[in-house]
Amino acid sequence: MMDIEYIDIKSFRQTMLDRRAAGMDFLREMIGMDWEAEGLGVIYILENSATHDVEELAVRITERDRPQIPTVSDIWQIAEMYEREVYDFYGIEFAGHPDMRRLFLRNDWVGFPLRKDYDPSETINPVRLESEKNEEIVREYDIAEDKQLAELVEKMKILHYDQFVINIGPQHPATHGVLRFRLSLEGEVLRKVDIHCGYIHRGIEKMCESRTYPQTLAFTDRLDYLSAHQNRHALCMCIEKAMGLEVTGRVQYIRTIMDELQRIDSHLLMFSCMAMDMGAITSFIYGFRDREKLLDIMEEVTGGRLIQNYNVIGGVQADITPGFAAKVKEYCNDQKKRLKEYYDVFVNNIIFRNRSIGVGILSREDAISFGTTGGTGRASGWACDVRKRHPYALYDKVEFKEIIHTGGDCYDRLLVRLEEIVESIHIIEQLIDNIPEGDFKTKTKPIIKLPEGRFYAAVEGSRGEFGVFIESHGEKTPYRLKFRPMGLPLIAAAQNIMKGHKVADMITIGASLDYVIPDIDR
Amino acid sequence: MTMGFLDNTYIGNILTAVKSLLTGLGVTLREFFTRKVTERYPENRKTQHISERHRAMLRMPHDEEGNNKCIACGLCQQACPNGTISITTRTVTDEESGKSKKVLAEYHYDLGACMFCQLCVNACPKGAIEFTNEFENAVFDRKKLIMKLNR
Amino acid sequence: MIDFTSINASIESYLQSVLPAQVATLVECALIAVCAIAAYLVFAIVMIYMERKVCAAFQCRIGPDRVGFLGLLQVFADVFKMLIKEIIDIKDSDRALYTLAPFLVVMSSLITFSCLPFDNGLQVLDFNIGVFFIMAASSFGVLGILLAGWSSNNKFSMIGAIRSGGQMISYELSMSLCILTLVVLSGTMRVSEIVEMQREGWFIVRGHIPAIIAFLIYLIAGNAETNRAPFDLPEAESELTAGFHTEYSGMGFGLFYVAEFMNLFIIAGIATTLFLGGWTPLYIPGLDGFNAAMEWIPGIVWFLGKVFFVIWLLMWVRWTFPRLRIDQVLVLEWKYLVPIGLLNLLIMTVCVVMGWTL
Repeated sequence: MMDIEYIDIKSFRQTMLDRRAAGMDFLREMIGMDWEAEGLGVIYILENSATHDVEELAVRITERDRPQIPTVSDIWQIAEMYEREVYDFYGIEFAGHPDMRRLFLRNDWVGFPLRKDYDPSETINPVRLESEKNEEIVREYDIAEDKQLAELVEKMKILHYDQFVINIGPQHPATHGVLRFRLSLEGEVLRKVDIHCGYIHRGIEKMCESRTYPQTLAFTDRLDYLSAHQNRHALCMCIEKAMGLEVTGRVQYIRTIMDELQRIDSHLLMFSCMAMDMGAITSFIYGFRDREKLLDIMEEVTGGRLIQNYNVIGGVQADITPGFAAKVKEYCNDQKKRLKEYYDVFVNNIIFRNRSIGVGILSREDAISFGTTGGTGRASGWACDVRKRHPYALYDKVEFKEIIHTGGDCYDRLLVRLEEIVESIHIIEQLIDNIPEGDFKTKTKPIIKLPEGRFYAAVEGSRGEFGVFIESHGEKTPYRLKFRPMGLPLIAAAQNIMKGHKVADMITIGASLDYVIPDIDR
Repeated sequence: MTMGFLDNTYIGNILTAVKSLLTGLGVTLREFFTRKVTERYPENRKTQHISERHRAMLRMPHDEEGNNKCIACGLCQQACPNGTISITTRTVTDEESGKSKKVLAEYHYDLGACMFCQLCVNACPKGAIEFTNEFENAVFDRKKLIMKLNR
Repeated sequence: MIDFTSINASIESYLQSVLPAQVATLVECALIAVCAIAAYLVFAIVMIYMERKVCAAFQCRIGPDRVGFLGLLQVFADVFKMLIKEIIDIKDSDRALYTLAPFLVVMSSLITFSCLPFDNGLQVLDFNIGVFFIMAASSFGVLGILLAGWSSNNKFSMIGAIRSGGQMISYELSMSLCILTLVVLSGTMRVSEIVEMQREGWFIVRGHIPAIIAFLIYLIAGNAETNRAPFDLPEAESELTAGFHTEYSGMGFGLFYVAEFMNLFIIAGIATTLFLGGWTPLYIPGLDGFNAAMEWIPGIVWFLGKVFFVIWLLMWVRWTFPRLRIDQVLVLEWKYLVPIGLLNLLIMTVCVVMGWTL
């Protein structure tokens, strides 16, 4: 249950500046809200990166035609993306924001879909067959303290037409999905990067608002499909927390083990894809060959390889199979040996080292400001592991090391992932022999209703903190369900650190950040 | 990888570079002669192992007399997020007691719209439906994906 | 041993006897052209198949095994697929140059191909500056790549072509330096003489240290010349989708593809000719029986065996390493290969002058 402090809009900016000065340097989450009669608003979840104190603030505005809230994008860099998302879904304009465009939907979209009074009829937003025009002129809202409404100014151009602009994506071998970069080049050097997302936006948060709680579970596997277990774990945890349901020890063990297996799976894929993006196709196949064995193990238990569908409210879908422990142990021993091969053939290779060391450096301050949790943050020296910060499941009972590197470059980002595989194996080995007897699922009522309130639960996904925010009004469907994307901070950071590098480095940086598009777009 | 006094010199850099390259070549050379991992589908159909729990298609098991356990309660239809299942019922009157009862007429399942979330199976109070691991369901016509599950 | 010189001579005398001199020469030229192109295609097919299988083996896979026995017909299926592909009309492209570009690339490699001595006398072009000619002919292929990139009206192609220009022209230099090193050792530029001189010991052995260094640099530079990984920047698929040939479909792409493989063959062929004794058999001084036995294996088998071994080496490299970045490619050439190549040339000269060769 969250304890939210409402701030008056007049003192909002000052409050936020004070909070930042007080050490709240990590904007964990920013949630747009439509409370109908009480107006639109935004919930901010702040965290102190040193003490891990969390604070929840909210601001409300009753105006619906042109609601305006002062921006915080100059206080936390990631807010630039988050505010674009809120603008896209709720139409809240952020005064002082440097680039107030829609983030996911087309520029010519009519209405703001997550508002409760949104009309989804097809006559308003028909399927448009012509391609979207690039918006080169950015609308910016000047902060003007004395004025009622901030002035709309059209001043900055994103990419000028006389620049050499190339499109990478949405269909491109190296974007790992449908993400589109517009690069302004000078020779081979990137001058400016403009990222467009939303090509696989499915409106999952909107859909969740009309689905029952068990039905919302099905969507989580389809966000970041490489942390399907963790995503679903987070949602189940959030719902269980709200219901006051305690899961059995056996479930905790199974969930933790599966989360770590999934993490290994994801990190192996990250290594492989990074190798492939840099032209080392053989290393790619080695990684995939070993990942295949892991997928076989997971399939045996969950019935799925990518869409696993395993966690359910109160437990897991099915008990682990009898041979599971033996297979996992065999795999873990095998994988440890394989890791050496990866180092020999790719990581220690002079070509890779030269291409990745010192490339795309993300400083610790920027990492926190952008909120790039996960391996990317840890490669920049930021101890941001949710498993350590806010332990859940069994993570406070097992012993493991949080891998921290300080270089913040592509090389360190890969190393963090590879070393985390070893740590994950270490965690699994501690648990696999001690799974307690018990029910694999606590019985729940057929219709699940959450008590009124706001709930937030976070897990360490494969590439960062995956959070679930639920606002319940006591019905069987959530009033608002927000997933904290792991990838959005990554691409926000990418936009910044790619500048000044070469085209080839852009691919390396993208691969090392390890974003998954369906997670960004939701 | 250190080369002693040659560290960070022109020659030293060349030597470390060459060494790292040779290590890489060694790994690939070893793999050149190891057993290959390719699986030959469809030749391996007989030996191929598909997990018991793999969800490929919804099925309604029938016993030898052709009866199923479905009581036409419609919970699966409600549970499905995609509207994959549609049930039609008819009312029969029991001759002895004279009570009328709703029974299943047709159970339609659209494989093309199914996302294999297993909510229908979880919702079923009688265990009348289950997922099978028969995965070779490709057809040329979408209409064929709409199946009638009860006999 | 079969001596192709006498076979050539007998064919020529036969043609001369039945046809007027000019017509005979014309017929000879046509015959040779047909043979050369046929050989070119056969080797291309063999190499495409080999690349697929070798690559698969390095990657723990089996490779193509569906089309024909062991997938032997795979290449033919590929060619058939390419032939039935639609040739796309590119908007605002330079039509003439766009069509010409793949032919330039193939022409360059075909001319170089005909300078390779497959066996004693089995060589199309052989004259006193043969090595020089090989270098000249092989270097105008870059023109085709530049044109392809320029005429496609595509920014990816353009970047690929510019990269390729910078890379290929740079690496030409260290390739020439290596060849020059061997010319210093052999004292002749005539290809057939260079091979003949290696009858009693291949140059890589006789030139010992400088020859081995030259051989390695030559292989690196050759790899870069053929735009193969780790130097495949002009077509770096993860950056530029397909680089300079992004906009080519059907046989336009097919020609680039074939030319890439044949350039690899040529690089390996020149390496064999200059360093590994061409078609001459393995000769170990003192072991007369062994040497006589080796003589029984035909020269063409020796030549192809060595060539395919070198090709396998290059494939091994290709399927192991990640791609370099354009600035690193140039740094490698200008800061490492060229200085080392120059120094190596000097060492070789000193060795030859002082008589320190074997």
